[in-house]
Amino acid sequence: MLRFLSIRLLRAALTIGLVVTFAFIVLRMSGDPALLIMSADAPPEAVAAFRKAWGLDEPLWNQYLSYFGAILHGDLGQSMRDGRPAIQLVAERIPATLALTVPALIMKIGIGIPAGIFAALHRNSFLDRAVMITAVAGFTVPSFVLGLLLVLVFAVQLGWLPSGGQEGWRHAILPIITMGAGGAAVLARFTRSAMLEVLGQPYIRTASAKGVSWRAVVRHHALPNAAIPTVTIVGFMVGSLLAGAVVVESVFSWPGVGRLLVVAVANRDLAVVQCILLLVAATMVTANIVVDLLYGFLDPRLRSGVKA
Amino acid sequence: MNLTRRGAFGLVASGAASSLILPRFALAQADNRPSITIAVQKISNSNTLEVLREQSNVGERVFFSSLWEGLIGRDWMGELKAVPELATEWTRISDSVIELKLRQGVKFHNGDEMTAEDVVFSFGSARMFGDTLPVAQGRTIQVRGEGIPTRAGRDLPAEVPAVARRSWPALERVEAVDKYTVRFHNATPDVTLEGRLSRYGSQIISRRAYVEAETWFDWARKPVTTGPYKVAEFRPDQSLTLVAHDEYWGGRPPVKQIRFVEVPEVSARINMLKTGEAQFACDIPPDQIGGIEADRKFEVQGGTILNHRLTVFDKNHPQLVDARVRRAMTHSIDRDAIVESLWSNRTEVPKGLQWPYYDDMFIADWSVPKFDQAEARRLLKEAGYKGDPIPYRLLNNYYTNQTPTAQVLVEMWNQVGLNVQIEMKENWSQILERSPTRAVRDWSNSAPFNDPVSSLVSQHGPNGQQQQVGEWSNDEMNRLSVELETGTDRARRKVVFRRMLEIAEREDPAYTVLHQNATFTAKRRDIAWKASPAFAMDFRRGNWGG
Repeated sequence: MLRFLSIRLLRAALTIGLVVTFAFIVLRMSGDPALLIMSADAPPEAVAAFRKAWGLDEPLWNQYLSYFGAILHGDLGQSMRDGRPAIQLVAERIPATLALTVPALIMKIGIGIPAGIFAALHRNSFLDRAVMITAVAGFTVPSFVLGLLLVLVFAVQLGWLPSGGQEGWRHAILPIITMGAGGAAVLARFTRSAMLEVLGQPYIRTASAKGVSWRAVVRHHALPNAAIPTVTIVGFMVGSLLAGAVVVESVFSWPGVGRLLVVAVANRDLAVVQCILLLVAATMVTANIVVDLLYGFLDPRLRSGVKA
Repeated sequence: MNLTRRGAFGLVASGAASSLILPRFALAQADNRPSITIAVQKISNSNTLEVLREQSNVGERVFFSSLWEGLIGRDWMGELKAVPELATEWTRISDSVIELKLRQGVKFHNGDEMTAEDVVFSFGSARMFGDTLPVAQGRTIQVRGEGIPTRAGRDLPAEVPAVARRSWPALERVEAVDKYTVRFHNATPDVTLEGRLSRYGSQIISRRAYVEAETWFDWARKPVTTGPYKVAEFRPDQSLTLVAHDEYWGGRPPVKQIRFVEVPEVSARINMLKTGEAQFACDIPPDQIGGIEADRKFEVQGGTILNHRLTVFDKNHPQLVDARVRRAMTHSIDRDAIVESLWSNRTEVPKGLQWPYYDDMFIADWSVPKFDQAEARRLLKEAGYKGDPIPYRLLNNYYTNQTPTAQVLVEMWNQVGLNVQIEMKENWSQILERSPTRAVRDWSNSAPFNDPVSSLVSQHGPNGQQQQVGEWSNDEMNRLSVELETGTDRARRKVVFRRMLEIAEREDPAYTVLHQNATFTAKRRDIAWKASPAFAMDFRRGNWGG
């Protein structure tokens, strides 16, 4: 187990390092923060002063070493636009993002998994078709289209809900539904496929032949075995809790990490972008490790495989 | 009922508290001024509200005339000419010195009275210039390269002195003659001092508030000024809430609270207007105007602003070295067709890079190069142009209608035999990057004050962006730029300006003007408010409810 964890943690550190390095290079090669933050009309002297002040006039390798050294000391840098530590800016936005992504994740799991199980248990029936058509529609409609559609109906036409902003729980309803719908659809399809595959296995027939009730067969044999692919998808969704709302936050003017990322990338606010990517990579990697551990819990064969 | 001493004291105390609270509550109840919400694409690019750092159109919108005021202001609802604001009158002492009498009884947002000390401090090294020194025009400006505000906290951001010196390259000092009189001493003769006093960045701050701010950024997010509205809350990238400054020298502001909300998507802004969440929606593209006004409850206001859209040339590109090719490009553009088809005639083709508010410096008989395809073909033939590709670096709608305009231009150039090829870019540094593929790009130019120094010299002269990035230069133009900046003979200055226009727009084109820019604001029709011919939104008494 210790070796398993050590290998995973080493891989995680390597992944995060690669993400940070890639972001560092791409951001600096593709735009000058001085021109972007101060606008193209800024006096050349002001642009030059800005570059010098932030060390942007130094060689790239020098900037990289300084940056990496600072990270190792826990310093994720300062925002060039805001003048505050990047981590502080990001931390301020995390609650707003989680206020959308966590309920959306609950909605995805709460609707997607039962819908997938239900469709699989009623395979090829009218109900199965209805669930699957809804699911296909759910994940093929882009979130910005669904979001605008919901605003048009529930805010503009019916006037029931606000169209955007973050001033109370009512403002969160449409963004949560927009995010949750697509994810629930994906989970429903994956769960249905996994269930169908498991329901066709010989051990299911054996259990039924032994006289075990269908409900018990599903609960004790089908569901645990079908859980692995579903857990993988849920793990991915958990991993994207921090930065998975970029589009929805833009459509609904929701001041979360996603919008901060868009603005920071557009302005090449380097420290903020790198800080967000670092946190997203860390969240994703952590979620993957947890999923790996859950695999072992769900399927003892994988645990023995690790030991071997 | 048992009343103990402690209980009695509590009753008295609560009664006293009530007496303090109730009248205020009653006052608040009596304040029936409206609160409004304005949906904008962007509040501030730099995440600050300091005029010396946030130098942008979006900044102009929230700053003037609500928050910041200068000694000399602008007639925002008229022709944008200079008008008395915090100074009531001014006199020229010499070609390089101007004296201003301050308006008395002006209160800052913190309750302090504005005096000459505040004016001197506003134009001092601690707030504006850092350790830069005034120098004669045309020479390199010394900029301090240290003092990152985020580290030390209180230092000026490195770019602030540079911006300040760009506005005031030769300002030597400001002298407090008495409590309500100041003198500006320039190092060189300058006929544009009055204009510079009215420009973006020359506004007055409270000395005490600036000194008391814990960090420069704390100050810059909540500046204490004299405007009719003061900052209640600024949440960068999200919202800005201004509340009425009831001690405003111009009278009690008509709106209780103005809330700017940042809504990046145009459809979301329009939706907020339609649902009643916002009373104003800004940055409306021309193609949305018809749809909004189809509902009689709403109207779209606005129009041309002090900003021209240009196509800019890099004369170092092999195909553009010959000025005749650039001249051919200027003659092959049917600007009226662009204005009609993409702007529904809601803007116009100006008389080159100048504005009527230049007054006696405005050259009324000047015009952009005539649309003449035969002339364009003749010039290309003379230049021996063989149809080699000319790259056109393009941003995706940074300016309104930018991409469709570029597509139209490419077709127009193609009709005379010019092979211009669009290259999409993501940001300005990619657009300006020095490389063999830099040839044609878009730009817009403003005039921060009513003199050609503020536009033609500032943008295309020796210290202007176009020359600084190495796209274009012209020796005669550079000599004339210095003469225009320092000359005091107005007749001669006008001759110089005309010659500069001839060089930059006709003989050796640095750019060509396409059309005047315009901005549109959608609003509820029943709100009596008018848009100004600028980005600035005026919510003072004279422009509300009348």
